[in-house]
Amino acid sequence: MASVTLSSLHLQYPSGAVGLEDIDLTVGHGEFVALVGASGSGKTTLLRTVAGFLSPTSGTVRLGDRVVAGDGVFVPAESRHLGMVFQQHAVWPHMNVARNVEYPLRRARVGRAERTERVERMLELVGLGGYAKRDPATLSGGQRQRVALARALVAEPSVLLLDEALSALDEPLRDRLRLELQSLTRSLGLTVLHVTHDRDEALALADRVVVLDGGRIQQIGTPPELVSEPASAAVARFLSDATVVAGTRTATGFRADGFPVDVPAALLSGAATGDVEVAILPEDVDLVAPGPAADGVAASAGPGAESAVVVSSLYGRSGNDVILDWGGLTLRSRTADHRPVVGERVGVSIRRALVFPSAGAAVPSAAPAAGARV
Amino acid sequence: MRRDGADAVRLVLWLIIAALVLVPLVAIVVLAAGDNRFGLLLEGDVLEAGINSIVSALASGLGAVLLGTAFALLLERTDLRGRRALRLIALSPLLVPPFVGAIAWIGVAGPVSPVNRAWSDAFGSPLWSIYGGDGVIFLLIVHSYPIAMLIVTAALRRIPTDLEQAARISGASATGALATVTLPLLRPAMLSSFVLVSVGNLADFGIPSIVGTPEQYVTLSTLVYRYIQSGTVDDPLSVVATVGVVLLVLAILGLVADTVLGRRRWELDASTTPPARLRLGRARPLVGTLTWLVVSALTVLPLLALVSQSLLPAPGVPLTAENVSLDNFSRVLSSPIVTEGAANSLMLAVLAGLICGIVGLAIGTVTTRTRARDNAALSAVALFPQAIPGLVIAVAWLVIAPHIGLFNTPWLILCAYVTSFLALVVQSVAAPLRSIPLVAEEAARISGATRLRALFDISWRLALPAALSGAVLVALTAVRELTLSVLLLSPGSQTLGVAIFNLQQAGAYNAASTLSLLVTVVGLVGLGLAGRSTR
Repeated sequence: MASVTLSSLHLQYPSGAVGLEDIDLTVGHGEFVALVGASGSGKTTLLRTVAGFLSPTSGTVRLGDRVVAGDGVFVPAESRHLGMVFQQHAVWPHMNVARNVEYPLRRARVGRAERTERVERMLELVGLGGYAKRDPATLSGGQRQRVALARALVAEPSVLLLDEALSALDEPLRDRLRLELQSLTRSLGLTVLHVTHDRDEALALADRVVVLDGGRIQQIGTPPELVSEPASAAVARFLSDATVVAGTRTATGFRADGFPVDVPAALLSGAATGDVEVAILPEDVDLVAPGPAADGVAASAGPGAESAVVVSSLYGRSGNDVILDWGGLTLRSRTADHRPVVGERVGVSIRRALVFPSAGAAVPSAAPAAGARV
Repeated sequence: MRRDGADAVRLVLWLIIAALVLVPLVAIVVLAAGDNRFGLLLEGDVLEAGINSIVSALASGLGAVLLGTAFALLLERTDLRGRRALRLIALSPLLVPPFVGAIAWIGVAGPVSPVNRAWSDAFGSPLWSIYGGDGVIFLLIVHSYPIAMLIVTAALRRIPTDLEQAARISGASATGALATVTLPLLRPAMLSSFVLVSVGNLADFGIPSIVGTPEQYVTLSTLVYRYIQSGTVDDPLSVVATVGVVLLVLAILGLVADTVLGRRRWELDASTTPPARLRLGRARPLVGTLTWLVVSALTVLPLLALVSQSLLPAPGVPLTAENVSLDNFSRVLSSPIVTEGAANSLMLAVLAGLICGIVGLAIGTVTTRTRARDNAALSAVALFPQAIPGLVIAVAWLVIAPHIGLFNTPWLILCAYVTSFLALVVQSVAAPLRSIPLVAEEAARISGATRLRALFDISWRLALPAALSGAVLVALTAVRELTLSVLLLSPGSQTLGVAIFNLQQAGAYNAASTLSLLVTVVGLVGLGLAGRSTR
């Protein structure tokens, strides 16, 4: 049974700005779904609409079988039986840890004995056993976020909403909480909607990732699908830092407009022809010995011969991040074997390019269908 | 979304604010416009009083900002000794009602004060008498520089030290960085405190009536008092309403100026590094001594004068062992006028504190902890009375008193107190709440609380300590209040402030000083206790 069903959801703010457009999404029971996108993409708007802090202009929100928004119905946030963790943790400073965590149970009129017992169990679960009487001001940022998590889970919500829940934490701690969050939600079988601007976090945690832009869903898919088969050049650029170039596709291959990029037909994947865009993933760019061609002259010998200048070269654990100036085009490469120095002249070899219809015309309509799974 | 309990609370708050602020102010404007006696403003008495008011307000605003900024810089950004103690002492005039300060300063620089008498004996004429226009301006400065100092100090603390350090690394000396970076960044705060102080001093009553009137230095507030007390003009209420509207317009102009000037404000990052202090080096003992001397002369000296006056039987009697007695205390404390005034003031102050505390808590939380389009308007109307002279509020309530059946009752004073002091609670509630993100309430909603319940469990509980200290502040301000009660008091009735004022006017200077001393000491102790209990 699906936990959250959004159908043809539209949301327009009173100012006229569009928050959400034509959102269709089904989250299965026990599924962990991450919402990613740049700021202003609508990911937080979507989460707050599910939470009940925003009311959609049209379309419906269903939790289980129950319509909570749409069809003339609007169930306020307090009656939706959800749990939520906020970026700024929102632990109430005027209550101690136990009072914070038991608040949802008090609202649900759970008896005192059961409350105490459930709060203790929950604090134990998030690693805060024995902290019940502590004042939140004496806790560290990570501990406060655990209190917030305990408070969100104590009433056994139907869905857990995470609004940038880990983003305010510093790196090593964030990593640890990420691991704990995964084991906790999996062992409890929770349905989770997780909003984040951190692409790697979304890919690492989620069963499925929803990419949003301009209030629309650009792609829904499992992490491997999104990385290897992005639905549009924009998704490839957002998720994988792909280099996007416009040009023409003919029977022989792809030729870029204004840049020395030539990709033979055999290395192209994707069906679009004519005016197209290609996305070149950093992993598909190899650095080779520089060819003989002079600067700025497009070589006809095919990939491997063109030479580019290294603009920056950053060390990375899983490969060096190299930015190249390739006859005016800024190209990104991730390569493990060789770390060039800035200013070095290198040859470029492209292993694969993803072809998409030219942006603007076809992308929005093509995107939502791809990879959508119900 | 559906209407619920939270919307009902909002509606009730709007009704209360309309009754407390909008109705009286509209009434005064309607009366003044209907009778149209604006021509009167250009006649001799009113014109002269108006010029005196504006000149004394602007001059005292300038003086207060200069003095306040100097103290703020010395105490925040130099390595002067005893900065913490100096800051507390320098802020103390804020805790003394202006009319009490005026009575105290008469003991220091009145015509028969020890200093002036000694000077007359030696050189034939007094050194400087506080009576007259210059004395009024001086006293207004003494009682308003702490406000400027507070505002400038707050602004100074917000300026990241990095900005000064960047100037130093670029080659500026310590004083050069102060002059080219710090002072220009303080300009908005200085302008804003200038406007605030000037508008506040525009219609102060206590100071000009006590040290201005003996030299025929009349300001709009003392003129209004004279018109209301003695029927020297026909239809005094309409004349007074006209003056009130003029003051109201000036106050609004001040607000507009402050908003326009405030628009050019810089976004400053929070600073984590401790401020670098300017080393005074060899000048440190000299600067330190001078600062201590000036600060004590402005604050401790008048209190000492108040003490000596209350121990002596009459002004001009030398302070010797055989002249000193506690007779003034026993006489003042057994006087029925004083006990009646104290009882009335206490009752009015407690009620005002209670009402302001509850209404202010509700308004402060609703406007900061909910998302609604009328929040800004609600809070602006509630805070507005703070920006207008108390005199205008008194006259406004005087205008509508007969229509609501409160004429000649103490409840009229209570209404005026609540209108004037509500802003104190709203501000003290709203300021700390603004820094807490709104998700605190949303977390409660998600946990199953309705909007009203979240307002109650989270917002109000969070704000309760601030509302409590705000309410105590209201009560302590009201118990020593003069301007509102002197204009609204029914004949034969008393408040503490009016009792002191009348003793002073009747020539019982030493009795007035004694009562002033008692009120000041009790007030300081009360504020100290309130400050401690909320910490």
